[in-house]
Amino acid sequence: MQIIENSKVKEKVYIEKLENGLTVMVIPKKGVQKKYMIWGTHYGSNESSFIVPGEKEVTNVPNGVAHFLEHKMFEQENGTNSLDVLTALGVEANAYTTNDHTAYLFECTDNFYEAMDELMDYVQHPYFTDENVEKEKGIIGQEIMMYDDYPEWKVYLNAMKAMYHNNPVKIDIVGTIETISKIDKEILYKCYQTFYNPSNMTMVLCGDFKPEEILEEVKKRLINTKPSGEIKRIYPNEPEEIVKEKIEQKLEVSQAMYVIGIKDTINCEQKSELVKKHLAIEMLLNLIIGRSSNLYKKLYNEELIYSQPSLEYEFTNIYAHCLITGQSNNPEEVYKSFKEEVCKLKQEGINKEDFERIKKMIYGGYIKEYNDVQDIAKMFLADHFKGINSFDYLEEIEQINVEYLEQILKDVFKEEKMVLSIVKS
Amino acid sequence: MEYKQTELKKGIKLHSIKTDKFKTNLIAVFLTTNLTRENVTKNAVISAILRRGSKTMPSQEEISKQMEEMYGASFDCGLDKTGDNQVLKFYIETVNDNFLPQKGENMLKTSIEELLDIVFNPYVENDSFKKEYVDQEKNNIKQRIEGKIDNKARYSMDRCIEEMYKDSPFGLYKLGYIEDLKNIDGKNLYLYYQELIKTCKIDIFVSGQIEDSMVEELQNNENIEKLQERIPKFVLPKELNKQLPKEEKVVTESMEVTQGKLVLGLDVSLNDEDLRYDTLIYNSILGGSANSKMFQNVREKAHLAYVASSSYLRYKNNIFVNCGIEISNYEKALELIKEQIEDMKKGNFTEEDIENAKKGIIATINTIDDEQDTGITYYFGQELSQSNISIEEYIKRIEEVNKDDIINIAQNVAINTVYFLKD
Repeated sequence: MQIIENSKVKEKVYIEKLENGLTVMVIPKKGVQKKYMIWGTHYGSNESSFIVPGEKEVTNVPNGVAHFLEHKMFEQENGTNSLDVLTALGVEANAYTTNDHTAYLFECTDNFYEAMDELMDYVQHPYFTDENVEKEKGIIGQEIMMYDDYPEWKVYLNAMKAMYHNNPVKIDIVGTIETISKIDKEILYKCYQTFYNPSNMTMVLCGDFKPEEILEEVKKRLINTKPSGEIKRIYPNEPEEIVKEKIEQKLEVSQAMYVIGIKDTINCEQKSELVKKHLAIEMLLNLIIGRSSNLYKKLYNEELIYSQPSLEYEFTNIYAHCLITGQSNNPEEVYKSFKEEVCKLKQEGINKEDFERIKKMIYGGYIKEYNDVQDIAKMFLADHFKGINSFDYLEEIEQINVEYLEQILKDVFKEEKMVLSIVKS
Repeated sequence: MEYKQTELKKGIKLHSIKTDKFKTNLIAVFLTTNLTRENVTKNAVISAILRRGSKTMPSQEEISKQMEEMYGASFDCGLDKTGDNQVLKFYIETVNDNFLPQKGENMLKTSIEELLDIVFNPYVENDSFKKEYVDQEKNNIKQRIEGKIDNKARYSMDRCIEEMYKDSPFGLYKLGYIEDLKNIDGKNLYLYYQELIKTCKIDIFVSGQIEDSMVEELQNNENIEKLQERIPKFVLPKELNKQLPKEEKVVTESMEVTQGKLVLGLDVSLNDEDLRYDTLIYNSILGGSANSKMFQNVREKAHLAYVASSSYLRYKNNIFVNCGIEISNYEKALELIKEQIEDMKKGNFTEEDIENAKKGIIATINTIDDEQDTGITYYFGQELSQSNISIEEYIKRIEEVNKDDIINIAQNVAINTVYFLKD
């Protein structure tokens, strides 16, 4: 196995790409009781148009299939449900779907191998019938309605709609009642066959493991599959411009919720460049509106905000944007002040002392990610699907200087790329 | 992992959890006091005001800069309702010195000193909290109280509790009441703060790579030296006096929602602390896991819900059943939930169900040492209920529970309140 060591956080990752194309990553954590296993496919809500390897025709499927598949994978031909089986073993099992990947996981202290048997068995053996597909529509329907009552989800999704013309990031991961009504077992099988090939999948294990031994255990449980060719993923063309600057929705909330979004462009950058850029944007967001910033102090004193807005840079292979999320009785004013502050920072440049302090903070933040087996495994999986090794973040921080930050500030924080989404009563 | 208690002074305890599993050190100060209508709002404002500044770091900006300088130490505070107590919680999490690029910084010592400074040495002017801070934080609390409607599931749960505990401390909202804010000013709040600090129960937790010299350092800490001995004012959760409710209360409320939120508040009318292990397993079978009756019957078989679960509130001996349903399915769902509760009484569950529940609970207990905050919560729970049960003993008690014990719980469970939030 290939071994990558990080001297800063003092951890190692062991990586192996198997003959069938599956990537296995092991991060040993000595002395920890919890063991975590996650198996993901590079397939999420972004993929609704693609060419199956070996075929010529484009396949189009309704929105929400990746998530629907996630729900249905647990059902087994012998009538059992793998979630029940795993729960009965005393392990905490779950699954989730994002824009770019779907993952199946469990965490345990005992019965690890029994749970591994079950997880690897159900992910490799889909069983869909007309009846069990129909049944799931009722449950997912309630899940969709639950999200309808989450104002924070609505304000986020509206920000996507304001930024993106065609990109699937603006579509709800779970789909809509209408799109899921069109899903049937044939569609599910086709997507499964295409995206659940080992060559499109990655497995991460974190806990007190001996990497070589656990790798053998994984191999023993794999069914014989050949790697498939490349899946051609078809994404709609996305203009660089935003759709509209402002979007508003009425919902019963105590105080308006807002998302300020900044649409970024995807260049076929070097992966290390991507990490560097991500770090730089995190630093910039903190310099502009973080807890110690002048803007935060001003907004707090004017009672326009009551807590630190959350600051994020989200990206996959087909989109990238910054998000500032919070609550305010006057989001328009927060937005205006934010834009002014960006403008000011561009003119005046970045203060060296502030920069050094924020850099320390970001460094500490990445160290803290390595406390829990779950956080570690999920991070390595998500980063891997972006083509990134998680350790790179700790390595790249040192490379960042004020000049680089100022360059990113100029390139990314453009006024014409900013949107404001508001949900209020 | 090594857990140790030291009484620094009467009523003030240091709990040290020595462990090298983490990249971080976690320090917490908990102030526990009885929950009363008179003080609940004041406590909420105090927890907000203390993070505004201490004598050595007189503004939020200075605290934030200091935290950032310490490689992104995170300072956080919270407010909890634990049984009939209100707990003001303050935390600092810092990176362990071993993972810093520069050697020789004693981050643990600095962060303990700073946290104590924030809690016990607040910024005051002329025996009063700063007016500007008080005004802003009163508004902040007002916004947060109003914000309780933003999360409909959480709101429904809080409302159900409020209905069940009308006119008793546990029915109070943990952040207090908007109408009580107007009487609070910098002067009377500071007076109240001094009283609180004199009388509340104080627990200091330090989890991480601890040196033996820490106890002595804390004993000599200026802020600790200032504190007086006390017989702390708080309510032992043991002092429960539960009876079966006379009749089932039904509360329906309307709000702009797409999905109905149904909460059933159940009373377990048993007062023996030792029965909580049996109740934990009862809850797990009823709605605590994916194998539970709620999940299997309400979600998987009837497809009425995506969320269908129950949770056990041990300090008050209540179980809350939760689900999100189509509004028109209210009757159907309620009937089905009641069937599950009846089933439990009749003993309609298997030995396998019991074994599964035990495994799930034991797995959770086994992770206590693997999560820094869970560890602190666990030991604080022990402290508050004045019980001293080791993790091994806890597991043993869980393993000893049998079917009759669970049926005994089931037969002492009754619905107190049915709460439904609809459009």
